[in-house]
Amino acid sequence: MKLAIGWTSAALAVFFALIIQEFIPPIHALNGARVLLVPLVFCYAALAMPTWAMLLFAALTGFLTDLMFLHIVDGQVEIALGWSMVYFVFFGLLAHGFQPAFLRGHWWLYIVLAVLGTCTFLALQYVMICFRRQGIVFNDLVAWRILAPGLIAAVIAPLVHLAVNQCSNFFPDVPGAPGGYRLGQ
Amino acid sequence: MNRLNVIIVLVILAVAVAISALGSNTMQKLQSGFLGLVSPFLKTGSAVQQQLGAVGQGLKTLDQLEEENEKLATENKDLKTTNQILRDIEAENNKLRAALEYKQRSVFKLIPARVISRDASTWWNTVKINRGFEDGIDSDEPVLTDVGLVGKTTTVGKNESIVLLITDEICKVAAKAEGSREQGILSGQRIQNSGTSGEMQLNFLSKTADLQAGQKIYTAGVSGGVFPSGILLGTVKSFKARALDGQAIVEPALDLSSVEDVFVVVGAK
Repeated sequence: MKLAIGWTSAALAVFFALIIQEFIPPIHALNGARVLLVPLVFCYAALAMPTWAMLLFAALTGFLTDLMFLHIVDGQVEIALGWSMVYFVFFGLLAHGFQPAFLRGHWWLYIVLAVLGTCTFLALQYVMICFRRQGIVFNDLVAWRILAPGLIAAVIAPLVHLAVNQCSNFFPDVPGAPGGYRLGQ
Repeated sequence: MNRLNVIIVLVILAVAVAISALGSNTMQKLQSGFLGLVSPFLKTGSAVQQQLGAVGQGLKTLDQLEEENEKLATENKDLKTTNQILRDIEAENNKLRAALEYKQRSVFKLIPARVISRDASTWWNTVKINRGFEDGIDSDEPVLTDVGLVGKTTTVGKNESIVLLITDEICKVAAKAEGSREQGILSGQRIQNSGTSGEMQLNFLSKTADLQAGQKIYTAGVSGGVFPSGILLGTVKSFKARALDGQAIVEPALDLSSVEDVFVVVGAK
């Protein structure tokens, strides 16, 4: 039951993260970098959920992300549906490997993984676009657009961690461990 | 990882591969359905954003509002008159074309729409508008404002559509330069500088085109294309002759990062 509540809450969080990030304007001071909330939410879930629930969550996150970002012009698909599912499954497995350390109190691991998850997601998207458009363009702006969202994630991640820990206080049977709130445990 | 988890991973990968093999039409239908699901939230978010923005604007004095209202009413009358004259001319033109056995010029209908959100992705330039197939909108229809071209519709949902902006690299528009016979293909750039309203490149011009800064660029309206002829795209910023052709850098006619009210041209095809 607790796991079902945790999983559903995480799914709703991803859904609303997708919508909220549409309304966050690009940050001009960081060369137009965007704020990505979905990798942040997913990363927390990957550190907090049991493996099988995390995998299903990765599939859902990837599918919703692809539907939101799907880009079809003149019948040509830029990045096909399904690639984000693969990305989130593999990144989730990597992040999940740090779960024991995270639950022991190393909450900073969440920040590192959130930065890594955000940057690799954008970098892989860009590589695929370059393949599709048959030409690689790499300059300072591209680097900013990939790395700056990671920096933004590093700033937001502690707030997410704090917020989830605060939320865990509303569920007395779910321990708000110093290392994080393990969904459904 | 235990056996159950391995099976789940394999199943997800199989599903991902199966989904990625779907045709573009099926993917578009799925996206259209998803747009319908998120649309109420996007509209609510847009309304909240608009209200927050209106707080500052709402602090005008009554005198200012009255003056603005009077000005708008006069402008409205002026536009109505001009519109009527143009309609008469269009009707006359069509009659003359019919007399000469030319094909009648198709009559366009404009559907007003509002931008409800801007793409949060880093690599694409798109916006979402609050009109869909229920309003008579189809994919590949031009979207413009009174100033110039905005882009074209791609995925169309029930009450919302995605508009690909002309500053996107894969939005290609046949364009012509004002005061010359030069024509080329206009497209956006892969990475837009955030400090500007976006830049586009006009390729395949002749090497001797020598377009001047400030020269206006319009849609060429090629047969079978998406965009009608004569819509303003932007102005030339610079021109350079390359080994095989000429290329002009073009600034969009309007700031696409802040455009809010647009019109979709239906019945253009």
